[in-house]
Amino acid sequence: MINFDSAAPVRLKGVGDGFWITLDPSHPEEVLKSEIDKVFRNLKHLAINASVVIDVGDAKGHDDLIEQLRSYIMATFEVAKVSKPPEKRSIPTERIRQRDLSKGWNHHRSDVLMLRGIVRSGQKIESRKHIVIMGDANPGSEICAGGDIIVLGRLAGRAHAGFPGDESAIVFALEFRPTLVRIGKAAASGIDEEVRIKPEYACVENDGIIVKDYMKTNPFRKMPWPEAI
Amino acid sequence: MEGKVIVVTSGKGGVGKTTATSSIGAALALEGKRVAIVDMDIGLRNLDVVMGLENRIVFNIVDVVLGKCKISQAAIRDRRIDNLFLIPASQSDNKDVLSPAGVERVANELRKEFDYVIMDSPAGIERGFQNAIVGANEAIVICTPDVSSVRDADRVIGILYSRSLTPKLVVNRIEPARVERGEMLSYEDVLEVLSIELLGLVPMDEHVLISSNTGTPLVLQNESKAGHAFRRIAKRLNGEADLPIEIPTHKSSMWKKISKTFGFK
Repeated sequence: MINFDSAAPVRLKGVGDGFWITLDPSHPEEVLKSEIDKVFRNLKHLAINASVVIDVGDAKGHDDLIEQLRSYIMATFEVAKVSKPPEKRSIPTERIRQRDLSKGWNHHRSDVLMLRGIVRSGQKIESRKHIVIMGDANPGSEICAGGDIIVLGRLAGRAHAGFPGDESAIVFALEFRPTLVRIGKAAASGIDEEVRIKPEYACVENDGIIVKDYMKTNPFRKMPWPEAI
Repeated sequence: MEGKVIVVTSGKGGVGKTTATSSIGAALALEGKRVAIVDMDIGLRNLDVVMGLENRIVFNIVDVVLGKCKISQAAIRDRRIDNLFLIPASQSDNKDVLSPAGVERVANELRKEFDYVIMDSPAGIERGFQNAIVGANEAIVICTPDVSSVRDADRVIGILYSRSLTPKLVVNRIEPARVERGEMLSYEDVLEVLSIELLGLVPMDEHVLISSNTGTPLVLQNESKAGHAFRRIAKRLNGEADLPIEIPTHKSSMWKKISKTFGFK
């Protein structure tokens, strides 16, 4: 019978393919031996070819005793091997989670889909991330992003940012003339004004979409520190 | 050496695919090449009318693909230009009778017998178009300076790229006077949107209508500006890649140009 009583001089526990014996080294060697004897007889055939670990707990300097018991167990029972518990790796009590705040972007996995080339009529770019197009989005093309849409060129197709419901997203283009802009649930059709080539962006204000001059009302100027997205 | 299969396409109808196909084909034949022009617009054939070969049709491309006749039986030889052949479309079938695999096989056979095989694609991007591009090595996109034509050409270019064909652009029906007045997109506007390699600029020309209706090749008419432009396009296709692209100009500005060249240099 396996005794789990903490007061016992020898305790046995099954671990993986073997046994873990916890000893109380304050007991005399003879007592320990007879206790081990008792425990192993109970195991019967289960002890055969098992790997046994002798653990003296937090006590130190009992190498002689362990060596004695090791040779005793090896001689008496048909175990495969007897060893000491593996050395514990020195784990610092508290993991250092301090991050260099000045370079937070070093630890950042990008959440941006970045494409270069022309998005042509009939093509649809869909992503749950932010989308950056280095090139043009031609009339008849569609871009649908979970986050922001940035077009480094002419945006002349349809753009849906913040899909399905994020109204904090923006749509930015160096030449802003989409046929339709949607941000979250808000929508606005294109403007038939004269073509003016300047960087502009659309955002949601008071449930409506408004287009602003990027250089005059840069929405990110109020952020004090570069932040990874 | 095997020839090239070139598909002429546009997306939008009525931009001059058929005219371009017959003119480029005829011009390549005038360059001394053996050329087959294939009408892939099954059910709505008109390349034979434009080329004036209507009453000589016995077999057509559908017969060839279905194995009912040989290529040599279906190919009609043009009497005015040597080495120019037409394989007409069928007027009675519809586009579904052709399978892409069959068209590809025929395209490969044609490539062995001709230096250039020019395929006239139907308008649209459906089955007929897919059949027309399946055997092609090169593609020419025809576009007029209209917003809608540019939009459709853009879509077609996207599809061609997805089939690993790199299309070249011909801007057709340019009216320099109207471009000058700002009533029409300029070819630069078109190129800005489509941004592919330009093969040539073809001006609006009333000779096109006359030659189509009378069935005489446009490129044989020396006074036709469009015919001249198509001959230059054929030369460019036929290895003279450095031939400069002529920009159609308005007559008055043309005189200015000439006087500049001769008088005030």
